[in-house]
Amino acid sequence: MNERSSVEIYTEWDVVAARQLGRDEAKSIGFGTVDQARITTAISELARNIYLYAGTGKIEIRRLHDGVKKGMMIISSDNGPGIPDVRKVMEDGFTTSGGLGAGMPGVQRLVDEFKIETEVGVGTTITAIKWLR
Amino acid sequence: MDLHVQQKEVRDVYQFKVVGEVDAFTAPKLKEQLHSIAHLKGVRAEIDVSEVEYMDSTGLGVFVGFYKTLQEQDGHVKVTGLNRRLYRLFEITGLDAIIDVEEAKDDE
Amino acid sequence: MMDLQKQYQELLEKYLENLDEKNLYFAQQFSRKFIEQEIAPEDVVSLHKDAVMNIFPELRNEVATTHDFLIEMMIHYGLALREHQSLIKKREELHMEMEVAANVQEKLMNATRPNVDGLDIGYVSEAAKAMSGDYIYFAEHGRKNLSVAVADVIGKGIPAALCMSMIKFGMDSIDENESVPSEVLKIINRIVEKSVDNSMFISMYYGMYNVENQHFTYASAGHEPALFYCAKTKSFEQLDAKGLLLGVKREVEYEECQVHLHSGDFVAIMTDGVTEIRTEDGFLDSAIIEQLLFEVRDQSAQQMADYLFKQLAQLQNFRLHDDFTVAIMKKR
Repeated sequence: MNERSSVEIYTEWDVVAARQLGRDEAKSIGFGTVDQARITTAISELARNIYLYAGTGKIEIRRLHDGVKKGMMIISSDNGPGIPDVRKVMEDGFTTSGGLGAGMPGVQRLVDEFKIETEVGVGTTITAIKWLR
Repeated sequence: MDLHVQQKEVRDVYQFKVVGEVDAFTAPKLKEQLHSIAHLKGVRAEIDVSEVEYMDSTGLGVFVGFYKTLQEQDGHVKVTGLNRRLYRLFEITGLDAIIDVEEAKDDE
Repeated sequence: MMDLQKQYQELLEKYLENLDEKNLYFAQQFSRKFIEQEIAPEDVVSLHKDAVMNIFPELRNEVATTHDFLIEMMIHYGLALREHQSLIKKREELHMEMEVAANVQEKLMNATRPNVDGLDIGYVSEAAKAMSGDYIYFAEHGRKNLSVAVADVIGKGIPAALCMSMIKFGMDSIDENESVPSEVLKIINRIVEKSVDNSMFISMYYGMYNVENQHFTYASAGHEPALFYCAKTKSFEQLDAKGLLLGVKREVEYEECQVHLHSGDFVAIMTDGVTEIRTEDGFLDSAIIEQLLFEVRDQSAQQMADYLFKQLAQLQNFRLHDDFTVAIMKKR
């Protein structure tokens, strides 16, 4: 069973709204303080990337119940320009050297599962999952 | 060491004044600046290097690259204010035969 | 994690009891454990928070909240740390790849010193970085002719080395028995012009020694002039020949000149890593090269090359700024 909720990203303030939603959900699922902070930071990065590079998009949060496991899925989607070279974006030192924050490798490190789908001119969808331990 | 490039356009001639040292570290900056006009057809460019204290082969490479690019588009490059050392560099490399070069007027 | 939590709290309690340096030392040792086990900074703050709240149960909740605030701040530090670690690993990988590449290059370039009647040959070619953009080449043609080429690719490191491999194959494809120096440069120029990037270029000095008449014939593609030493007059002369760098223009004519070698005369061909030496006090006067070579003029060509390299390296505190190549041909 999945429960979903989402925040549309139009302005930088919506990044804050997405963080808030993520934190509330993480707390109620039962994540500890440190993991809450990790989840929120990941959402923050994803939402900010939408705001900076795609203009508009959406952050969606789903609760996951997989048998005994509980967790949370974050889906970041936009209809922006897409990423021409995903390998480069996933490389350490690529975004951080430009001072753009944690970048995609950072987001990947904060979660347990990470998937990126992108097409130039169509948009980007990033799915991240954090499991409750 | 730093490198500064000033650029202005005077009667259809793009004038660049290069100040500082042109080496492996600063050459990309010069290249970027020069190539901002490299796509234009039939461009006339003049590069004043009278305040270039030092240039290594990477720097020379930027001039060669710029020359070749402009040449393909019927453009023209002139390099002015070369000190003795730089003039020798252009002479040894044979570039003085294909690029318009002008030695500094009052050579100390 | 639970284990660490307990140990950390005990350590903190002991310190609070005595406020002594010993426990601070233990704490330092303990922090190594954190790093070894890849405990992120945010986890360390969390451990500290729990320990503090356990030790002082009467503390207000706000104290815990301030720690939560710090945890938020530490997430990025943690990420930066892990990225740093991963970049260090990557650097090690690159370093290893580079070493392999340098070995491949060495095998590929492997210049062999030829044996030619009446001519003593020596050379030194040292890379400033792992890979060299200088190129040195000798070839014998039926004990009648010896040819020597010294080339310098603009820049250093991997791009220069890749470019140099191309020159090597170009040279191998030429039938030098048929060609004079100016012709060889013309052909190499066409190869380079077709295949290199706009801002890449190469200078090359090409000489040929004829055993029968002892003439040294040379041509230059934008390369530093070679030095010629005349034993009779005890003087140096630059062997300059007009010619454009390789790869700038499709069709280029190269001037060809000649000099006769008498006993004790020698020719030194160098790259700008030799002639353009820059020390803290500015550029070295090129006269120093003549002076150094003059000092050892009676030694073998190899000893002369070694001496020149050693002296010039010393002047730069053994830190080469550019690839260094010198070839010396001395008439016995």
